[in-house]
Amino acid sequence: MEKDININFFKPVGDFMKKDVAIKKKIIVIWFLAVYGFLFLLKLVANPDETVQLTLNTGEVITQVSGMSFLTETQFLGFPFHYWYSSQFLIALFIGLCYWYCKFIDKLESEYEK
Amino acid sequence: MKRMMHWGLSLFFVLMSTNAFAVTNLNPEGKFKVIPAILMISLLILFIMVGVFSKAQNTEDYWAAGRGVGQIGGGMAIASNWMSAASYLGMAGLIYLKGYFAISYVLGWTGGYVLLLVLMAGQVRRYGKYTAPDFVGDRYYSTTARLMSALIVITISFVYAVGQYKGIGMMFNWIFGIDYKTSVVVGTGVVLTYVLISGMLGATKNMQVQYVVIVITFFLPLFFIASKLGYFSAVPQIGYGAAVYDIGHGGNGIVAAASDPSYYLPFAKYTMYHWFALCMTLMLGTAGLPHVIGRFYVVPRVSDARWQVVWGLFCIALVYWTAPAYAAFAKFSNLLGTTGTTITPDAIVVNAAELAGLPEWFAGFLAAGGVSAAFSTVGGLLMAGSSAFAHDIYFRVMYPNASEDNKMKVARIGTVILGVSIIIVALNPPALIAQITAVAFALGANTFFPLFLLGLWWSRTTKEAAIAGMIVGLAVTFGSMLIPKTSILAFYIPFTSSAVVGVPAVLITMIVVSYMTPEPSQEIKELLYRVHNDE
Repeated sequence: MEKDININFFKPVGDFMKKDVAIKKKIIVIWFLAVYGFLFLLKLVANPDETVQLTLNTGEVITQVSGMSFLTETQFLGFPFHYWYSSQFLIALFIGLCYWYCKFIDKLESEYEK
Repeated sequence: MKRMMHWGLSLFFVLMSTNAFAVTNLNPEGKFKVIPAILMISLLILFIMVGVFSKAQNTEDYWAAGRGVGQIGGGMAIASNWMSAASYLGMAGLIYLKGYFAISYVLGWTGGYVLLLVLMAGQVRRYGKYTAPDFVGDRYYSTTARLMSALIVITISFVYAVGQYKGIGMMFNWIFGIDYKTSVVVGTGVVLTYVLISGMLGATKNMQVQYVVIVITFFLPLFFIASKLGYFSAVPQIGYGAAVYDIGHGGNGIVAAASDPSYYLPFAKYTMYHWFALCMTLMLGTAGLPHVIGRFYVVPRVSDARWQVVWGLFCIALVYWTAPAYAAFAKFSNLLGTTGTTITPDAIVVNAAELAGLPEWFAGFLAAGGVSAAFSTVGGLLMAGSSAFAHDIYFRVMYPNASEDNKMKVARIGTVILGVSIIIVALNPPALIAQITAVAFALGANTFFPLFLLGLWWSRTTKEAAIAGMIVGLAVTFGSMLIPKTSILAFYIPFTSSAVVGVPAVLITMIVVSYMTPEPSQEIKELLYRVHNDE
């Protein structure tokens, strides 16, 4: 075998694929942190005194923080901030990430004359 | 054949008469609402006309719409194909009921497109196949894998469409005053008719028309609702933010004692784990739904396939920025103590207009839009399901020498069988619209997402791994529905969110099995190399 043609996301072969995969990784990391990092942050900064009781499907009753914090009590455009962030900003961010990727890959493809 | 029909019909009437999970009658007096009815009927005529005038000429058209749809047009088609009764009616209903927790539906159904674009769209288009099972059968060099994946496509279409039929039935019930079950039969009869007379070409044109209808009907009443309730109504998508704040803290007529902070607090009703599990399942499902992936074959150039995703996501976002507003305004009116309207979660969008005291035709607008949303999705689903049957099972596996005419005929028979059998389940729907839809997503995530992900990105994945992966994926999806509702397992694997456990399990299975079985042939690897480097 003259060249390595085993395809593996973590071991890209060829210049084009290397650059492509590098930006894919960046986008996926930003995407994950923006959605789930923020969720975790909400839990992390929550006021420990504000709790609620939840009845789980198993019948067990647990007490957990309700998530009240400066993120939920600050108003932004009238919204509680976290509500605006999740229901409006993140969707715009998704569009932005997709736009970024398309621009990048179009340029890369023209460089490599594909 | 005759006996089968006879048997089918009797079963049909038996199910019609059982009332185990009866859907709330939205229109108990059986009132025929004149303006909404005129709106609805003119829309139906419009859809059928568009379908007739852009009729499919041959099978090439029927499956891939001639591969000639532009970027924005394709984006609109993606969006209306995507936005179903679950987005239009179901999502707002869940936000109304579950508050911030249900924002995970909004994010799950948009965020998945990032994964779809980055990991799949371009590569799938370059691979150059017609359908998802075609890809699976070819990449995993196995007829068994092709057959299994075709059956999974049919199952996904089936489950997904059940939720849509419910939406259609409820809206027909509200508009025409006929009871829910008759509504399901009448409404879906119309969808079947237009899918049959037009193919995907007709459907693609239709989807663009439907997208415009969806956006107009969804936006227009909201301005009036916002202004009626005293919120910033020029951009009600921003104006509703203050309503969310008032729901939680009191204000604008709501006394502090009557406020409901659990509406906006993140962990007031569910745990963080469940938010994560649901959002992840919907995202991975989005990237693994065969009828969504299928749209990339319609595009002539790889670059267009990608830009269609961006446009599609933007068109979807317009509606998704709006849905939580309906939920908030309905919740607000509800706390204000507006009475006289029975609230049904799956009809909350229509209820919101009624609660705000707007004239009936506003609600009629929304009801008609809800049906359009369901129509476009059912159209795409029936296409995906019947082409899995006609193309992947009948043509590829059973009769490779079948003529064009025969394939068309089988596709149409498949559409009818699928369309009619969905009615039977939809007569007694098992859950809320968005929940039924979430199960379809879990199935997509647990099967097609790993198949495409590893299939495209790891050339070592073998055919045995694909088959084992599908078996595990099916087991997790359906297993999660069977485990007792009160068990600890059901806590960690809710049936709407099973992919959070399912996808890692399937990926591990596929990787382990791949290493235990002989490597794929050199041709497969070379093909993948070309897909990624295109030299």
